[in-house]
Amino acid sequence: MKKLNIVLLLSVVVLAVYLSTLPPGTMQSFQGGFLSLISPFLRTGDAVQQKIGSMGEELKTLDELESQNRKLLQQNKELLTTNNLLREIEAENNRLRLVLEYRERSVFKLLPARIISHDASTWWNTVKINRGFEDGVETDQPVLTEVGLVGKTTTVAKNEATVVLITDETCRVGAKVEGTREQGILSGLRIQQTSSSGQMQLNFLSKTARLEPGQKVYTAGVPNAVFPSGLLVGTVREFRVGPMAGQAIVDPSVDLSQTEDVFVIVGAK
Amino acid sequence: MRTAVGLVSLLFCVLACLLLQQFLPPFSYLHGARLVLVPMVFCYAAIALPFPAMLAGAVFTGLVSDLMYLHVVDGQVEIALGWSIFFFVIFGCISHGLHDSLERNRWWVCVPVAAIATCAYLFAQFAMISFRRSGFVADPAILWRILAPGIAAAILAPFLHFLVRFFASFLPEPPRLSGRNY
Repeated sequence: MKKLNIVLLLSVVVLAVYLSTLPPGTMQSFQGGFLSLISPFLRTGDAVQQKIGSMGEELKTLDELESQNRKLLQQNKELLTTNNLLREIEAENNRLRLVLEYRERSVFKLLPARIISHDASTWWNTVKINRGFEDGVETDQPVLTEVGLVGKTTTVAKNEATVVLITDETCRVGAKVEGTREQGILSGLRIQQTSSSGQMQLNFLSKTARLEPGQKVYTAGVPNAVFPSGLLVGTVREFRVGPMAGQAIVDPSVDLSQTEDVFVIVGAK
Repeated sequence: MRTAVGLVSLLFCVLACLLLQQFLPPFSYLHGARLVLVPMVFCYAAIALPFPAMLAGAVFTGLVSDLMYLHVVDGQVEIALGWSIFFFVIFGCISHGLHDSLERNRWWVCVPVAAIATCAYLFAQFAMISFRRSGFVADPAILWRILAPGIAAAILAPFLHFLVRFFASFLPEPPRLSGRNY
């Protein structure tokens, strides 16, 4: 082998070692920069995919569209009314909490976002959304839909962010089970296979917990945690008693493989 | 000229494959296995290109692959940036050793190389994740997720070869690969 080739080979190895020793924050900054660079391609791909996906939907008759529009307008009115009612209840609730010297429940500011790609990684469950630090998104912010929790942001680029889904093993959520005093740590299963949306495991439950399928699981909101208390995460599928503790298998409330529109909690209102 | 075109084509193809992979859904009937095209493309280029160009390609391929899938949660990196450079340098060196076979028109050498490189890439990722999360999980789904992309790469490798030969025929020099540089 030529001397030049040996020198080049050693230089590449040194570069790889140097890169692998960088702090995680620096690696994330590099990734953020890279995401910003490829973002036009991701957005174009998403637009093409959407166009292809909506081809069948566009072939609707005028009557069908009119009927759909009527239904949506009616639904919109109902939701506005419910929303106003809930606002009043929320204000009343906060007033009563104040009287009882409880801490005021904060109202979160939600930023709507769109999933532009589901990552093609074999071992991790992540998605990319079309909001970045320019929109006020930061690392470790909860992402949810109207149905429940989706995950949290990790790497944030200028106009994109990576979201690790709750079905990923590395995304850990403090969770509690509805109607019980049971709390545990919820994380995704390493290998998702039975359900297209994924499954999670709720660990460190007491062995005597008598959880029933269908019981709802909410975020516990432990101090300094990423996720606020009371967000719906999923429902219990089954409960197992292990040698040390109980474990529940939980189905996510959100169909993570089909979800397109999400909200990022960017702070308190 | 041919080397420069080959290297630029490799960089372009790697980026295109990474972006294409983003929009390809997993095969649900194969336990969620995905199409992994980058190791196949890189290994083919490593067989065809001279050694320094192969190294440049390994750095680029490894870096962009890592940046695309870097997984940082709670300040912890699962697989550090730069490991893919190691991987592609090792597989680049092995593939480059088959340069003469490709020159003698034994194009089929790219088939086992593509399959082995793809499987090894996924297995190395899985091994590192398992080591970091302290615990191996044995499951048929894991085997499928490693083997199925390898089989897919083996099926696609001849198409890549003939596509490259087709485009190479338009280049000004005769369509033969340059000699070894060491």
